[in-house]
Amino acid sequence: MTRLILRRLLLMVPTLILVSLLIFTLSEILPGDVGRTILGPYATPEQVAALNAELGVDEPIIQRYVAWLGNFVTGDWDTSPITDLEVRPQVMGALGNSLLLAGMALVVIIPLSIFLGVVAGLRKDGLLDRGITISTLSLTVIPEFVSGVILLVIFAVTLQWLPVTALAPEGSNLATRLYYLILPAIPLMFIELGYIARMARVGTVEVLARPYIRTAVLKGLPRRRVIFGHVLRNAMVPTVTVIGGQIGWLIGGLVVVETLFGYPGLGKLLVDAAKTHDVLVLEAGVLVVAVLYMLSNLSADVIVALLDPRVRQRA
Amino acid sequence: MTDDQYRRDYAHHLIEQVNKGQMTRRQLLVRASIFGFSATAAGSLLAACGGGSTSSSPAASGSAQPAPKAGGTLRIGCRESIAAPDPITMYDQASIVLVQQVCEYLIWVENDMTLRPVLAESWSGDETAKVWTFKLRQGVTFNDGSPLGADDVVATFDRLVDPDSGSAALSALGGILSPGGTKKVDDATVVFNLDKPFAEFPATVSAANYNAVILPRNYGGNFLKSPVGTGPFLLNKYTKKQNATFTKNPNYWQKGLPYLDGLIFKFPADAAAASLAMQAGDIDMQAETPFQGSQALFADPNLQVLEVPSTGLRQVFMNVDKEPFSDKRVRQAVAYCIDRPAIIQALFDGRSTLGNDTLFSSLYPNSPKLPQRAQDYEKAKQLLTDAGHPDGVTITVTPENDLEMPQYAQLIKAQCEPAGIKVNIEMMSYEAYFSGDPAPWLSVPMGITAWSARPTPIQFVNVMMLSDSVWNAPHFANPEYDKLAAQYAATVDEASRMDIATQMATMEQDETLQVLSFFVTQLSARVKNLYDVAGINIFLDLSKAYLA
Repeated sequence: MTRLILRRLLLMVPTLILVSLLIFTLSEILPGDVGRTILGPYATPEQVAALNAELGVDEPIIQRYVAWLGNFVTGDWDTSPITDLEVRPQVMGALGNSLLLAGMALVVIIPLSIFLGVVAGLRKDGLLDRGITISTLSLTVIPEFVSGVILLVIFAVTLQWLPVTALAPEGSNLATRLYYLILPAIPLMFIELGYIARMARVGTVEVLARPYIRTAVLKGLPRRRVIFGHVLRNAMVPTVTVIGGQIGWLIGGLVVVETLFGYPGLGKLLVDAAKTHDVLVLEAGVLVVAVLYMLSNLSADVIVALLDPRVRQRA
Repeated sequence: MTDDQYRRDYAHHLIEQVNKGQMTRRQLLVRASIFGFSATAAGSLLAACGGGSTSSSPAASGSAQPAPKAGGTLRIGCRESIAAPDPITMYDQASIVLVQQVCEYLIWVENDMTLRPVLAESWSGDETAKVWTFKLRQGVTFNDGSPLGADDVVATFDRLVDPDSGSAALSALGGILSPGGTKKVDDATVVFNLDKPFAEFPATVSAANYNAVILPRNYGGNFLKSPVGTGPFLLNKYTKKQNATFTKNPNYWQKGLPYLDGLIFKFPADAAAASLAMQAGDIDMQAETPFQGSQALFADPNLQVLEVPSTGLRQVFMNVDKEPFSDKRVRQAVAYCIDRPAIIQALFDGRSTLGNDTLFSSLYPNSPKLPQRAQDYEKAKQLLTDAGHPDGVTITVTPENDLEMPQYAQLIKAQCEPAGIKVNIEMMSYEAYFSGDPAPWLSVPMGITAWSARPTPIQFVNVMMLSDSVWNAPHFANPEYDKLAAQYAATVDEASRMDIATQMATMEQDETLQVLSFFVTQLSARVKNLYDVAGINIFLDLSKAYLA
């Protein structure tokens, strides 16, 4: 087990290097340049060229990459020339916000979707199953900007029960911040419910077909024991894997929700950095997301190994 | 002739024009304000005109307005900025309106294009229109305690026209004012020695030149670190892409002002979020409300939407260096396909001023009266045939990917089809449109670019239409037009100006470098109990604003 974890952790390093190289190269292809972004569309090409030379943007890419890498790994994340803000507090602040929102959403999604999925699986092909499957699937396909706007119009504008932005005033305590996050978390729940409940249902159905379940029932085990002791544990395997995969999106991919609710999260930070050629922020942000993504997948795999002894033995 | 005599002559001239019916009273106010007459002087000019009376104050609300009340924090929503706010290089809405709360200009531009003295108390030009004397307001201090003096103004303008500064102001003042052209006479007087005669010079050092805020003589370059200015508010905290907070300046030179205790600027990331924020009461006003996506605000009983006709435009330019636009008949053919009222209806529900393919919009005083172009497919087809394209022609239009321009491109495409002009729309991102060397917005065969309003047409002409203009997207190069433009800039006599303007406008319309179907009416949604906000869009003066 420890060997599995160690090996995966070691593998993260070359992956991160590859990702950082990829981002650096891709941002070369992005239209525009740093000088133009800072000075705006009305500056002359000469002025832009002068600023670019000053910022060292026109040096060869390998040179710049190595310089950046050297700074980055020693902890010097530098300051963005475009926004004049330090990169680390910006990225870490956005990360904190995104984690809070993702956490808020997951705390509700995980128990709810597992519950719905297992219930649907247990009552396969029944009315409850069909109802749960259809409704969760329908909610999944609604784009966040549609559900988000509808929720805002109903709850924030018309009823005025909840705030229209997701960012609590500065200095608010945790409870207030979570209150502000109720509305933006709902579109996320809608989307994730479909995926995770479905996985839980599939896992349940598969397990129920196994002979040992029939043995357990015939043995006389109470139904509750069968479900909690055997079915649940096995149905969790595919479910946990899916959740691990979704974490990456929940932290770094919520551009639409963050835009609509005015929430300064990591997704929006990355998109803005890409649009404005802010390579320092882009690199730092993407690598943070990559690390978290790999860690969450690793955790999911560890949990699966804990749930399923066969996986442990193979490893 | 002495300066005084000159001013008297000019005053007589304006009055004559009104009495002859060649100028409306409102137009007199605008021209007088540009020339340097104070509001009271302009008022007495009006009184001297035959018949009728009119109030000289541009702001007039129909119903009785509650008395000003001190206190309250105003929450303003505006489009977020890309770069950090820097007065010298700023170019987007958020940066500009943020800086305008802390810093001020010599002259402010009202919604109706009249100039209002702010840090300059009065100004006048000599008869050559090359030497302009500005008297500075006394008793003004920067928020760090230092008094405002001529040295600050000289330093500000030398900085702005310095080619190394990277300021957009360079384009507005290029060829007109050079480094060293601004001179201190005494602590309260500054003289601008221009490179060439320019009758409307005050407009180029007004708020219309949005980088021209007056900064202290020893301005170090980092505005966020030390936001020093003469304005009504002090910058408290600026959190990128989130909000900016301001508190009132207790030592503001206008005693008793500002009424508001503080400001909070929020940056909703798109029109939908902004609209929802207004409806939910999260913000009290928007600097600018884009028409698209804000329909709900018009129907909201708690809000009012201010409509200000402006000379902001959407330039549908055709590059004469690219086929098939080298032949002006093709360009004219495109113009004759356009059903302008229909476009205004579709894009803005009728809220716009009709345009006639010339920068001399009907909104300007003394604008030339040319026959209004309208949709005429017969003419368009004939022009195409004459130009050697009897079977039609295929063109590509590249709209700026912002606001309503993509829809405008769609409408153009639909309206050109019946004449046999097949239009392909090439979409690119906003960033891509403005970057590169040459950037697409200055080099594609046909594009649509948004331009913000300017109080005088020459400010458009100088940067767009001359052979050496820096932002000449249609690549128009006509020595005759250049000569007329130089004459127009230098001439003070109204009748001659009108004459030259008519020649220029006729040439523009004939050559059809760009289709200008409309001039944008700016919108701004506000709560009903907010009063006396001066300006709209990138002009925001809250010194007298209050919540009642």
